[in-house]
Amino acid sequence: MKAYVVRFSKQQRTEHVLVMSTFLVLAITGFPQKFFEAGWSQAVVNGIGGLDRVRWLHRAAGVLFSVLAGFHIASAIFSVLLGKASFALIPNKKDFGDAITTLRYYLGLSNDQARFDRYDYRQKFEYWGLVLGGLLMVATGYVLLEPILVTKFFPGEVIPAAKVAHSNEGLMAFLVVITWHIYNAHLNPDVFPFDTAIFTGKVSRHRMEHEHPLELDHLDAAKGDKKGE
Amino acid sequence: MVQTRISIHRTGLALMGAAFLVAAFSSSLLSAGPVEEERDTCLGCHGDQTASKDLPDGTKVSLFVDVSQLDKSVHGTRVKCSDCHPGTEEVPHPERPVKTFREYQASFREACRRCHFDNYTKTLDSVHYAQIAKGDFRAPFCVDCHGSHAITRPAQPKPDISKTCARCHEKIFEVYKKSVHGKAFVAHNPDVPVCTDCHKSHDIANPHSAAYRLRTPQICGSCHTNKAVMAKYNLSTDVLSTYLADFHGMSASLEKGQTKNQRAVVAVCVDCHGVHDITTVKGEGSRVVKANLLRTCQQCHKDASENFPAAWLSHYEPSWKRAPLIYGITLFYKVLIPFIIGGLVLQILLHLWRVVVNR
Repeated sequence: MKAYVVRFSKQQRTEHVLVMSTFLVLAITGFPQKFFEAGWSQAVVNGIGGLDRVRWLHRAAGVLFSVLAGFHIASAIFSVLLGKASFALIPNKKDFGDAITTLRYYLGLSNDQARFDRYDYRQKFEYWGLVLGGLLMVATGYVLLEPILVTKFFPGEVIPAAKVAHSNEGLMAFLVVITWHIYNAHLNPDVFPFDTAIFTGKVSRHRMEHEHPLELDHLDAAKGDKKGE
Repeated sequence: MVQTRISIHRTGLALMGAAFLVAAFSSSLLSAGPVEEERDTCLGCHGDQTASKDLPDGTKVSLFVDVSQLDKSVHGTRVKCSDCHPGTEEVPHPERPVKTFREYQASFREACRRCHFDNYTKTLDSVHYAQIAKGDFRAPFCVDCHGSHAITRPAQPKPDISKTCARCHEKIFEVYKKSVHGKAFVAHNPDVPVCTDCHKSHDIANPHSAAYRLRTPQICGSCHTNKAVMAKYNLSTDVLSTYLADFHGMSASLEKGQTKNQRAVVAVCVDCHGVHDITTVKGEGSRVVKANLLRTCQQCHKDASENFPAAWLSHYEPSWKRAPLIYGITLFYKVLIPFIIGGLVLQILLHLWRVVVNR
């Protein structure tokens, strides 16, 4: 038996690398515009070579991000139509139970640990946060990119509303990433210093037994079926 | 101990000596003696009302110096004739290679520097000096604004400053006089900005430069954020902060601090409100009154439609009354961000705690 299982497909791994890079560019070129009065903002703008270039990069990365989001959603719809869709990311009743079990375990109220399937409730939360937040960023971003076109059909107040939503949602996404995501992928003692699964696609059986025991059971059962045929 | 006392004693002596020297030196400067002595010598010729000289350009220049003007000047008996006219101690004076009276004035242009070093140095950064350096003597020397023999304290009364500038910049002054600032100026209102309040006096920057344009919000803000002054006219002091909170203000701020590729295409105060022809924001003539705002936006945003001007909150802070959508969204995130991030951090801490307990 292999010592690892392949958890992420090539497409998923590529999407992660692309979203990660565009997110990084968007954050670096976005925050100096939000916190424009701070000294570091000016330093970043000057380092990149001026506000015009910062904006160009932000817009280019934003368009790329929206293309990625569109591709992701299109491929999800496509897989549903083909009947190959996995619904493992859809939140369900078990997630709420798992959350309560986990909290009780953290607080020392019980020694039972939740047994997770392919995605635990924290991963689902982060995924849907990224998808919904990302769509909001894409929508408000395009409003800010084309204010003149948008105000031909919508009232003017939509523009500053999009600006505060874009700027606050961006801040929240960034804070979630540097606390929650960095903790779960790097600083968490279980994976420290670096959970490479999303880059290599591979996770050791040992880790799967701890983190996704139900998924491992399914995988083994599926293999057993194949052997039995 | 003894040594300390001696050193104190010595310091005291040194101080007394220094004080004595200073007193002696300043009294020699202030005493009427040398200044008036030299002046009398000069007036021996220059006190003659008919004294004149023919210049190579064919003009006749009077050489008469009115002593009553000298007495009224701030320099009075503190400055000798030769302090400002160096090289004239010799009589008859050596010929100066000048063709016109203006060239003659130019030859003494740097005389003020010896005493007024700081202000003289500032002028080197001015648009006026840039012209002079090119040999264009239509630009003013110190004496053109301050006067020469009848030199007085500047800015007394303050509005005289604008009249001084108007001697050359007549057309702009006429426009300014009709503006909301200029009307108050005509009515002798001391709160009103005169030319130098925006343009400065000695280091007058090129008003068309990117750097100057991008400084505009701070220039206007220096009066328009002053609560005491603005209260008199029932004007908001939030104009600067609300401008900066908007897209234009953010762009101008970051462009201003740029070390290279600085551009000033973004709208600053004067692009909507006007410069020398600035009007009150209310009333038909105003560019920023609602009826005219679209046309003002279209100066830059050519295809802007009727809804577009409402994208700008007209210097109002968002509130439930004004811009409820924006206020609501801001409030929503003010609650949501601490809630989400706080919750996640709490979970991380709990997890870490459990890891420690397990060990």
